Amino acid sequence: MALDRPHELLKPVKRRFIALTFFLGLLVELIPLPAGSTRWLPDLIGLVLLYWVINQPRRVGVGTAFFVGLIADVATAGLFGQHALAYSLTAYFALKRQRQLVMFTLGQQALAVGGLLFANQLIMMLARLLTGSAFIGFSYFLPPVIGILLWPLLTKLLLLPYRQHTA
Amino acid sequence: MDFANSPSFFRHGPRPGARAALCAFLSLALLIGDSRFGLMERTREGLSVVLYPLQWAVNLPVSAARHASDFFTTQTTLKLENDALRTRELAMASQLARLRTLEREHAELRSLNALRDRMPGAGQMAEVLYTGRDPFSYKLIIDKGQDATVRAGQPVVDGDGLLGQVTRTQPLTAEVTLITDKSLMVPVMIERTGVRAILYGYGGGVDLRFLPAHADVNTGDILVTSGIDGVYPAGLRVARVVHVERNTGSAFARLTVLPLAGVQKSRFVLVMQTRSDMPARPAASAPAAEAAGRGHRRK
Repeated sequence: MALDRPHELLKPVKRRFIALTFFLGLLVELIPLPAGSTRWLPDLIGLVLLYWVINQPRRVGVGTAFFVGLIADVATAGLFGQHALAYSLTAYFALKRQRQLVMFTLGQQALAVGGLLFANQLIMMLARLLTGSAFIGFSYFLPPVIGILLWPLLTKLLLLPYRQHTA
Repeated sequence: MDFANSPSFFRHGPRPGARAALCAFLSLALLIGDSRFGLMERTREGLSVVLYPLQWAVNLPVSAARHASDFFTTQTTLKLENDALRTRELAMASQLARLRTLEREHAELRSLNALRDRMPGAGQMAEVLYTGRDPFSYKLIIDKGQDATVRAGQPVVDGDGLLGQVTRTQPLTAEVTLITDKSLMVPVMIERTGVRAILYGYGGGVDLRFLPAHADVNTGDILVTSGIDGVYPAGLRVARVVHVERNTGSAFARLTVLPLAGVQKSRFVLVMQTRSDMPARPAASAPAAEAAGRGHRRK
């Protein structure tokens, strides 16, 4: 068992809360931002999705990843199916190793999640290159790095409502 | 007891591998359908209407902050801006008077020669809602859509020059593809000499390819639309040549070109009305005869 995880019984997670986190991620995705910032902002929907796949594998699986990906596709006005493809594949990889991933410490988990986010970007980039877009430079792989840094914070934040003693 | 590892005694539905394969297959089908056949246009339109209130709600604080900062501009900035605008108006007024006489003259000459009038109509102001999130394409979303009779194909300009073209309309918004996008090409000519060329967007910038090495181009030349495509009216300023490199080894001059319009900066844009005065499509039965006839008339 991980050492920096709370050794306490947590309240059961409500389906409503999972939906709410995805909704908030979508809202953040829709915020209008100055032009350059999309190059380094982490993919928040992807991060939340990986969190739930790792921590609630029986609720959030490949199918959910696919549907969330479709919504992300519409929100970002990209190609239909690119997020869906990337999310469902990485959700599958995370599910395969889920039992290992939950035992990791937050740092190790962040690295694994970073790899998955990197795979996300790679799949989306390949999809775009194959459909005729130009290569847009290696800055496209910056968001996963920011995502790694955000992972511990996100984990603590999403765990907060399920602590028994929130004093 | 951990948060996640609740025992799974029962399995429901297909295994994750099968599910992943199915989802990957579905998304690949969607990808191909969207990129090759444009099957998703309708779906996207519908979903964008559903997302519009969300977008509006998220936009609300941002636009409120913008309006608030507009409200609290200082007296001096307003005064300065007012002065600048007034001097500019004076300069414009004299030019406009000249332009009117020239325009009348132009129209007379055109009518003498039985040529069609190609002057553009008035435009529609629109505000930029946000720039697209997709880093692969250079697009803007504006707040006029099908409700304001914006159609795909209309050119979009700002105060400095050509910005791009409306490529997709939704009920309440429209998507403008910028000239820096890879899929947009603009027929241009050099204002000083009238040499025609095509300006290619390459994703983040514009490029003037295939201009002969001996072509008469200088640094600082302005490129304007040539108007020979029927999409952009002639004479819109598009870009400026900032560097010319003539290499003896290559048949073409290498030009560095910068767009004039605030491609990622402008907040208000003008959607121009284009009068489609293209001749009607010839009937499919006798295309050759029609083409020959038209060629004859032009002589």
